[in-house]
Amino acid sequence: MAAGTRVWKCCRCDEELVPKKTVLSYLGHTVAHELLTCPKCGKVYVSKELAEGKMSEVEQLLEDK
Amino acid sequence: MRLEDATAYTAECFRGEPASCSWACPFRLDVRSFLDKAGKGRWAAAYKVLRDATVFPAIVAALCDQPCREHCQRPLLGDEPIAVRDVEGAVLRYAKDRRPQSYAIPPKDRRIAVVGAGPAGLSTALNLAQKRFRVAVFEKRDAWGGALRPHPRFAEFDADIALQFSAVEVGFRFGAEVRDLDELVDFDAVYVATGAGGGSFGLLESWDRGLLTTSMPKVFMGGELCGVTLMEGIAQGIEASKIIEVFLQTGRATRPPGEYDKAKCGHYLDHEGAVSVPLVQASGPDGYTEAEAKAEAARCLQCDCGKCIAACEMLSRFRKDPRQIALEVYTDMEANPFSTRAVTRETYSCNICGYCRSVCPVGVDIGALLQFSRAARMRAGVHPAALHDFWLRDMDFATGEGAFASPPRGRPACEYAFYPGCQLRASNPEHVLRSYEFLRQTRGAGITLGCCGAPAYWAGDEARLQANIEETRRQWSGLGRPTLVFACATCEGLFRLFMPEIPRVSLYELLADSETIRPVAPFAEAAVFDPCAARDDHSMEAAVRNLAGKAGVALEELKERNRCCGHGGHIRIANPDLYDEITRNRAEAGAKPYIVYCANCREVFALRGKECVHILDVALGLTADSRVPTLEEKRNNSLRVKRELMKQTQDIDFEPERREWESLTLVIDDELQKEMEEKLISALDLKEAIWRAETSCDKFYDESDGTSLAGLVRPVITYWVQYREIAPDTYEVQSAYYHRMRFEREE
Repeated sequence: MAAGTRVWKCCRCDEELVPKKTVLSYLGHTVAHELLTCPKCGKVYVSKELAEGKMSEVEQLLEDK
Repeated sequence: MRLEDATAYTAECFRGEPASCSWACPFRLDVRSFLDKAGKGRWAAAYKVLRDATVFPAIVAALCDQPCREHCQRPLLGDEPIAVRDVEGAVLRYAKDRRPQSYAIPPKDRRIAVVGAGPAGLSTALNLAQKRFRVAVFEKRDAWGGALRPHPRFAEFDADIALQFSAVEVGFRFGAEVRDLDELVDFDAVYVATGAGGGSFGLLESWDRGLLTTSMPKVFMGGELCGVTLMEGIAQGIEASKIIEVFLQTGRATRPPGEYDKAKCGHYLDHEGAVSVPLVQASGPDGYTEAEAKAEAARCLQCDCGKCIAACEMLSRFRKDPRQIALEVYTDMEANPFSTRAVTRETYSCNICGYCRSVCPVGVDIGALLQFSRAARMRAGVHPAALHDFWLRDMDFATGEGAFASPPRGRPACEYAFYPGCQLRASNPEHVLRSYEFLRQTRGAGITLGCCGAPAYWAGDEARLQANIEETRRQWSGLGRPTLVFACATCEGLFRLFMPEIPRVSLYELLADSETIRPVAPFAEAAVFDPCAARDDHSMEAAVRNLAGKAGVALEELKERNRCCGHGGHIRIANPDLYDEITRNRAEAGAKPYIVYCANCREVFALRGKECVHILDVALGLTADSRVPTLEEKRNNSLRVKRELMKQTQDIDFEPERREWESLTLVIDDELQKEMEEKLISALDLKEAIWRAETSCDKFYDESDGTSLAGLVRPVITYWVQYREIAPDTYEVQSAYYHRMRFEREE
């Protein structure tokens, strides 16, 4: 099953994840991005595609700053 | 950081400076640029370079005695120097548009008198007129030209002078001999250039060669009158115009920056790889044809030093001049939050291997500069910690849980102690255990398991490095201040740098000197791949060759020695592409199998599939292991070495602390394992993530097939693992990844 088609639930809260604007920080800079999050406890989900794609790009940009 | 703290590293670098020929030229003609344009047949562009430097290009092309040729580097290849003047002549013939440039600047009201319309006076007058001063030239004869007038080619010179003056306004007063400078009292400045033996108004004694001043405040002097050559006299006109301009603005004569220093003619390069090309002969009496002039100009070697850039993959990739890098090392530290730092990636992409220094004619070490930059960034707290986090954690392990020091069993102290370094025992425990056995038997050696501090050094973490140095000294004193026996050139180098009082010897020397050692040849022929850190340790290099020779291996030398395998400086995370390029180049540098004596080199080549053994396999007759252990196995290897040596020396049964998650079993397929190793993700971190997730239910879960996703937030890096339980305490790992960003709300 492809990662994108999975239906992830927060194990603790038994809730399906919903998109939520999340603030990410790195090296003193902050970026806001909509990420899948548990509506109850706020635990944030990061997929491999996101971590190794867009996030990695932004990380490198901020490292070069 | 002060600017000079950074630029001191590259102060001797002369890349981008004029070539040796230009330093020799009175006009500082950019000979490289001129010949480059002429070599491409860009006659107008070449003419402009020539005209801007020499004022009267036709006179110079005809009469210059070409001191540039004495410093042409062509003769290093056995050729004649470039025929610069003949190319200049061709440029004058073939440049179609030779109209002088007119300068759109407002006229100035200051008046300057030039006494003498010879080449020196004319040059000064022309340069001042181009700056739009009001210039009057007094000439006792009826025409300009001075000493040039009797020359057979004067007609050409006359035309050149007329051409150059055609775009400016100058008042020529011919037949007007100045007998007394009082006649010129209305002028704001006077330039006396009356030619060889001409009138000097009694000022010659007071002439200042540098500032062209005389004892009379506003009177300047130059040209053949003062004993310089005709060419120097024309060149002086350019200088004089600048000095007089400053004088008129400030009331003081000062020399403008950019002094002309013939001592710099000596920057010769070795021109490795350049081929001999003979002087082009003109086919006719009128000089070079266009094709001939292009061919002659193209013989120019375009001398500029770029040896470090050509030699180093990193410098080639970023293509910045060393002095520019130094400047940016400084400006990066002064950057505000909104500006971009210019050399961060480059700073952390350097192997700090010293190869640039070894190829540099003046010994500039860009690695040392970038190491300095790393330390400055760390001190200022603007370092990207993720780039070195893995190795610093590894160092913490090697100096913490993995550390141990002891004299041999039953002895309070020792004269020798083995210092295998952190990577050798992680990579191959047998190498350490068998070497220790040899040292124990032959030298009564003790053991020191620790880390030399290279990870902290390369991360620029001076505090951690210093703490480790103090702990290492304490351990060493505790052993009775023994001579340390090194197996790793990096350790040896760092001890030499930071703990020079500790006596050192290489394991390979002791093995090579031993009668009991019977080296075994793994290959009939091989090349020794010397690690970068051994560059200054020729005894280590010699001992390894000696051992290989004793084994009967026919050795071939690599063309370039002591190149970094790629591991140095810990660049792998900062610049994976560059790391890949470097490791590939090193693996392909020699066709024969390699014999290495650095555990990191061995791993780099093993992963590249390059046939390779460690010299300890040769010396101790071990079966070479071509496998590279996983990160988790390396940790276990280190602990195993510690356990065995603690038993051996202290008779203590060492049981490393076992965390709850270590008993989990992970099933990881080869492809994923390889990916994890490349990204430096240890299975041990994944076990911890899974254990924490499973015991707290702090994870994501897909009900359809029971797949879980757990995150582990470390101080610098957040790891993720996707997995499925396949048996009790046994998990199949589907993917593992990480990111460096943090969630703001996270605990």
